Amino acid sequence: MECFSLLRKDIPALIDHLGVFGQVIAPHRKGDASYSFETVTDSSKVVLDYNRTLLPLKKNFFPPVEKLMDFSLKDLSYTTVEVPLEPKVFFAVHSYEMQSILRLDHSMLSGNVESNYLNRRQKSRFVGISFIPDEFHFSESVGITIEELEGFDLYLNEVEDDFQVYVITKKGRSLIQGFNKLRTTEPEIVAERKFKTKIRYHYNRLPRVFQYAYHADVWAEVASRCVGCGSCNLTCPTCFCFDVNDEVTVTAESGMRERTWDSCMLVTFAQVAGGENFREHTVNRTRHRLYRKFKYITDEEGLPWCVGCGRCTAFCPAGISLPEIVNDLIREDEKARHHQRVLV
Amino acid sequence: MKPQVAFFDFTSCEGCQLNKLNLENDLLDILKHIDIVEFREAMDDKADFYDIAFIEGSISSPSCVERIHDIRRRCTTLVAIGSCAVNGGVNAMKNLHPIDEVRETVYGKDKYLFATLPAMAVSAVVKVDYEVRGCPMTQQDFLKLLISLVLGKEPPKYGSPVCVECKLKENECLYNRGMVCLGPITRAGCDAICPSFGQFCTGCRGLLDNSNLDGMLELMTSHGISLDEAKKRMLLYNSNEVQL
Repeated sequence: MECFSLLRKDIPALIDHLGVFGQVIAPHRKGDASYSFETVTDSSKVVLDYNRTLLPLKKNFFPPVEKLMDFSLKDLSYTTVEVPLEPKVFFAVHSYEMQSILRLDHSMLSGNVESNYLNRRQKSRFVGISFIPDEFHFSESVGITIEELEGFDLYLNEVEDDFQVYVITKKGRSLIQGFNKLRTTEPEIVAERKFKTKIRYHYNRLPRVFQYAYHADVWAEVASRCVGCGSCNLTCPTCFCFDVNDEVTVTAESGMRERTWDSCMLVTFAQVAGGENFREHTVNRTRHRLYRKFKYITDEEGLPWCVGCGRCTAFCPAGISLPEIVNDLIREDEKARHHQRVLV
Repeated sequence: MKPQVAFFDFTSCEGCQLNKLNLENDLLDILKHIDIVEFREAMDDKADFYDIAFIEGSISSPSCVERIHDIRRRCTTLVAIGSCAVNGGVNAMKNLHPIDEVRETVYGKDKYLFATLPAMAVSAVVKVDYEVRGCPMTQQDFLKLLISLVLGKEPPKYGSPVCVECKLKENECLYNRGMVCLGPITRAGCDAICPSFGQFCTGCRGLLDNSNLDGMLELMTSHGISLDEAKKRMLLYNSNEVQL
């Protein structure tokens, strides 16, 4: 692996250089104290030391609201929307975010391939960056370190206020071709970046905990605090559920079909024709959300489907913490097993 | 024949009706599909029967009850528009006080001249087929319903909270900006217009079904307002729906 040193003041120049390859998308400030991935128009506005963006990088491949087709009611014809192949560079991406894209790849591209997703995904390049975990990040507990390089083409490691650039793939090598502000150096290990939030068990022990957690008391306690706003799902980088709607224009002659992100925490999510709802209560829905992250897909793929970005916790107005729920389940599981031993 | 459409007002500010006349860009397209046969704010004509009657305002006096029964008898489809008609809206705050006290405050010594009832949703008196929520109801929402009725399909129903629309637009949460917002329990469909412009949601589209109100009160008080204030905010548009 090639390694170069790069001064912090040269970052805007690097972003401009990447702009030669294609559109650069990077974190920007949004609102009072939030961040969002936006297209770079002024490279000096890019924020490098952000904690997390409001919406995950997913929004660039699987937009929150996406037109699927236009149709005409006059002659009952339709045209589907073709997504063009565009070269894009995603700059200053955290490791858990990259891992979430790799998991989404699995969800969207196995079985029936999602062609819009694939087209958006194909010519994208990723430049990673190290981060200092805040009180909500817990990705190490689900097996993703700060320096996890899988999926990245380049990676920026912050060392003593400047950066080291790791070249990970050939595509990454060609991205920095001709950029003259890099000096060859040796990779350094940065030891002091520690996660403040942790799940108590190693992630490979969690499937066993979830196997027996279906009737745990924890769910009712969480449901009593949850107001069911759906923010946890809608900001989750690995959630992929959507709803499809047809909209007709005022002329009643034409219209379009749209798909919109959906959330399994919403009461209408599992409502079917006739009004029946097979996850009517918050307690069912809370449990389902966690099982989707730690049991159902994990059983098939062997990986937790949570990447530890901390969005569901940071953006929950009711202050419900996902790692806390998992730790409570572990505690309840330990208690139950302790009783079993006493009985025998 | 095009559907015959009429608009009626009851106890309300009449804003929900009036904003139909602001649909300048779409009015000609709309009139290709419908005939407006009665609309006090826009024309003098009256009709005997209506295919669709749009009702604004809450039912709050014996004469209101008589009139709405009469309209219901003469229309095929009845649509409640705006929060007053859908659930009583802000008018229903009077129901939180003894009716005599309310009459005294408003009419003083002449209170016996004016008969009054608790402010009720239209659906409390007659059958309502569809509803358009909001204070005021948004024009887009109204157009969607109207086009659906013209095409004979089921109008959109909103079962998700305002938070969903904020998230889809990537708005920064107003709770993170130190405000207390009713978004988590309020029915969406407004495209989160208030939070998008930095104003917290006051809940004008009414509560979602099965809302966790205790959880919501706890949430609101944990963000620094008193329980009393939290209840008042929740009741502003939902006095007829919430028992606190």
